[in-house]
Amino acid sequence: MLGPSTTWYLAVAAVLFGIGTTGVILRRSPLIVLLSLEIMLNASNLALVGFSRHFASVDGQVFAISVMAVAAAEVCVGLGLIVAFTRRKMALDVDTLTELRG
Amino acid sequence: MGNFLVWVIWIGAALACISTAVAVISFTNPFYSALALIGNLASLAVLFLLASAEFVAAAQILVYAGAVMVMFLFVIAYLGGRADAPWAGGPRWLQLGAFVVGAAIMIEVIVALVTAADGGLADSAEISRSFGSPAEIGRLFLTDHLLAFEITSIVLLVAAVGGVVLGMKSSAEDDA
Amino acid sequence: MMAGAWLCLLAPLAGALLITLAGTHISRSTAALISTGSVFVGFAGAVVAFVKVAGQSPDNRENLSTAYTWLGVGQFKVPMQILVDPISLTMMLIITGVGGLIVWYSIGYMKGEDEERRYFAYMAFFVFAMLMLVMGGNLLLLLVGWGLVGLASYLLIGFYHDRPEAVAAAKKAFIMNAIGDATMALGLFLLIAKTGTLDFSTTFYDASTGQLSSSTVNLVALGLLGGAVAKSAQLPLHTWLPDAMEGPTPVSALIHAATMVTAGVYLIVRTHSIFEAAPNVQHLSAIIGGVTIVVAGVIALVQWDIKRVIAYSTMSQIGYMFMAAGIGAYGYAMFHLMTHAFFKALLFLSAGVIIHHLAGEQDIRRMGGLRKVMPYTHAAFLVGALALAGIPPLSGFWSKDGIIASALAEGGALGYTLVAFGLLGALLTGAYTFRLYYLVFHGPPSDLVLEHSGGHGADDVADHEAHGHAEGPLSMLIPVGVLTVLAAIGGLLVIPGVWEPFLNWIDSAVEPLVTPTVAQEYATSVVAVTIAAVGIWLARRAFREARELVADGAVRTTLEHKLYFDEAYDALFSRPAQLVANRLRDDVEEPIVQGSLGEIGAGVSEVAGGTARLQSGLLRSYALVIAASVAVLVVVFVAVR
Repeated sequence: MLGPSTTWYLAVAAVLFGIGTTGVILRRSPLIVLLSLEIMLNASNLALVGFSRHFASVDGQVFAISVMAVAAAEVCVGLGLIVAFTRRKMALDVDTLTELRG
Repeated sequence: MGNFLVWVIWIGAALACISTAVAVISFTNPFYSALALIGNLASLAVLFLLASAEFVAAAQILVYAGAVMVMFLFVIAYLGGRADAPWAGGPRWLQLGAFVVGAAIMIEVIVALVTAADGGLADSAEISRSFGSPAEIGRLFLTDHLLAFEITSIVLLVAAVGGVVLGMKSSAEDDA
Repeated sequence: MMAGAWLCLLAPLAGALLITLAGTHISRSTAALISTGSVFVGFAGAVVAFVKVAGQSPDNRENLSTAYTWLGVGQFKVPMQILVDPISLTMMLIITGVGGLIVWYSIGYMKGEDEERRYFAYMAFFVFAMLMLVMGGNLLLLLVGWGLVGLASYLLIGFYHDRPEAVAAAKKAFIMNAIGDATMALGLFLLIAKTGTLDFSTTFYDASTGQLSSSTVNLVALGLLGGAVAKSAQLPLHTWLPDAMEGPTPVSALIHAATMVTAGVYLIVRTHSIFEAAPNVQHLSAIIGGVTIVVAGVIALVQWDIKRVIAYSTMSQIGYMFMAAGIGAYGYAMFHLMTHAFFKALLFLSAGVIIHHLAGEQDIRRMGGLRKVMPYTHAAFLVGALALAGIPPLSGFWSKDGIIASALAEGGALGYTLVAFGLLGALLTGAYTFRLYYLVFHGPPSDLVLEHSGGHGADDVADHEAHGHAEGPLSMLIPVGVLTVLAAIGGLLVIPGVWEPFLNWIDSAVEPLVTPTVAQEYATSVVAVTIAAVGIWLARRAFREARELVADGAVRTTLEHKLYFDEAYDALFSRPAQLVANRLRDDVEEPIVQGSLGEIGAGVSEVAGGTARLQSGLLRSYALVIAASVAVLVVVFVAVR
């Protein structure tokens, strides 16, 4: 195949995934957390596409499209939650959500 | 020549990918983060194209960058000033841990790729001209992966309902 | 299928359960009736079984009836079986017959007491337990019955649980019996180890044919003897019996005279094969019996409590039974057991009538002159006393003299020593019995007696209305009457040389080792009766001279302290045990055991507290942990591959 081998694609995917994880744990605003989650999902999409190319099997791409659809759904619900926070005058800060304490 | 060009575009797209990802997690203004993510998605689409996944690339631009990110931007606009995301705080160990864990995952996978999986990932298979075409993907969706297709549609339906429910006004709140 | 025997065993149990489960839903008299009725139903069952077995030929009288396998551990199996042979039948008839009369008597005696229902349930339970003991078809079931009668005895002695003396007496009885239970259990363990079973047939066969080593048989016999000595209140485990008089009088009659205390004798007769294979132990039991006869007799000479005199008398008479069993005169041992049940129960019940009439007084110094006031009871008591002293033709004469004659027939050093013990016992028996009789019934009526007879106030009229008779209620007087008749004629079942159906009956189950000749029997009788008459005369003379048989002084003091056995046991066992217990409590229990529990609790609490800190509620920390786990898992997956 032209260009870099599959290893490179997977390496980029790994880097993206790591960056996304850091973002989820590091940031306090739920919006940024959601964006970081998107990065992680895209990383996995990239890995899927890379493998699909490597094994010449379209199944990987089918999976990637499903992931995309689910990601969209998840973003919809996540944003709905954030809007609900603001409606209830709660701070947009993940650290204040401590109902799981104890 | 062709290979060289591919390499150049590939490297460019990969660097753009990674740098925009870093940008997403480092801006304080969520608007800028969202824009950076759009950039990320675009460079990913380029990578998809280079991996002969044309339909996925198209879907990425249309759906992800086109619809999902727009939704994000709408909400950020709606929130206005409340959406500001300062870098403040949290426990030290948490901040440190975030970097450590992220780096750990990155490094582990790359090391695994380079050392262990080298043999397995050397030669990629030959592909046909219709690899990654909408026809292929559509055929698979409606035959081999029909269940996934149907369930995904139900997930989307549930998400839509969830979105409506979350957006409903309840008695305990004021108007925004 | 011994239906009668099973009915006999289970009827009292059913009665006890019924009363217990019905609780306060039935009236007190109903409970009393259920209890009495169930015991008499048991008696009917025993009679049916008796008729059946009597009809069998003498060689064929061992009837083993199995219900199901109760316990099975590997090769060791214990079936739920009953053995109905002449020995157990004799015991069954005595237990349910005399027991039934006593429970009937209790209806009047215990009327108006607190918690009557509990009493009647316990009595029926005791009858069941005693029947289990004598009917058990193997040693384990016998042990079960043994333990249960100990429990019933504890419950009934401590019936008046508000009285500390009663509670202490119950504990004492239980603990001393536990010593016997322990030795018995050890003996049984040894048997299981050596023979692998607790069946009567196998163990007895092994013992008698020399398949067990001599040390084994001796140890087993010693263990069994320990149990027998404790249960039958022989020296040295006798101190609980006088204290057991704290229980109600019918309890003393049933448990501590007629039945439970004779369980030791039954045990020796039942396991005679083992004892015969260990002759030293068997002779030891005879010696123990002989010594107890004399010791109990002399202590009885100085007692002031009417029930305690009779209790020591019981101890003494059981010594006779042990003597007989110890030399192998099993027939006479069982015969004396039966006649003793009659006249001792009679004595206790008549004493009970007196106690009931005098509203709880038991001190004979405050009695006197009851002859005129309670003629019926006087006649009954006199019959009992004469039977006890062994005056012909009453029952005690035939049985006691048979035992002494057997000792004579045994001969040798052992035999003649036992004869001496027996004759000395006869003298003492006559003396203490008639001391009691004269002090209670003769002489001028004491103030207490006058209070309760002539000068009754208006409120006592209601009391007497409840009585069918001036002396006591009919439910008390009728059983006394029946027992009087039995005590009088019960001995006529064995007239040496003429008619010996009872001995033949017992001999068909167990061969006696010695049989006295008719000449020996009559010779002994003459001597024994003469000696008993001397004893009676001594008592009468002392009474006439208004003095005690044993003069004041060192001897009397020792006797009054019951030969200081209680004090010795207290110093030797009770004090050290308490000391050890206190030390253990202070040094081991509290710091280590309780402390460790506290420590465990505190430790768990700390760990929980620490763990709770992990659940800070901080979402990001959870996410961090998840991500870290992923990182770790990646390594694991790659490494394992």
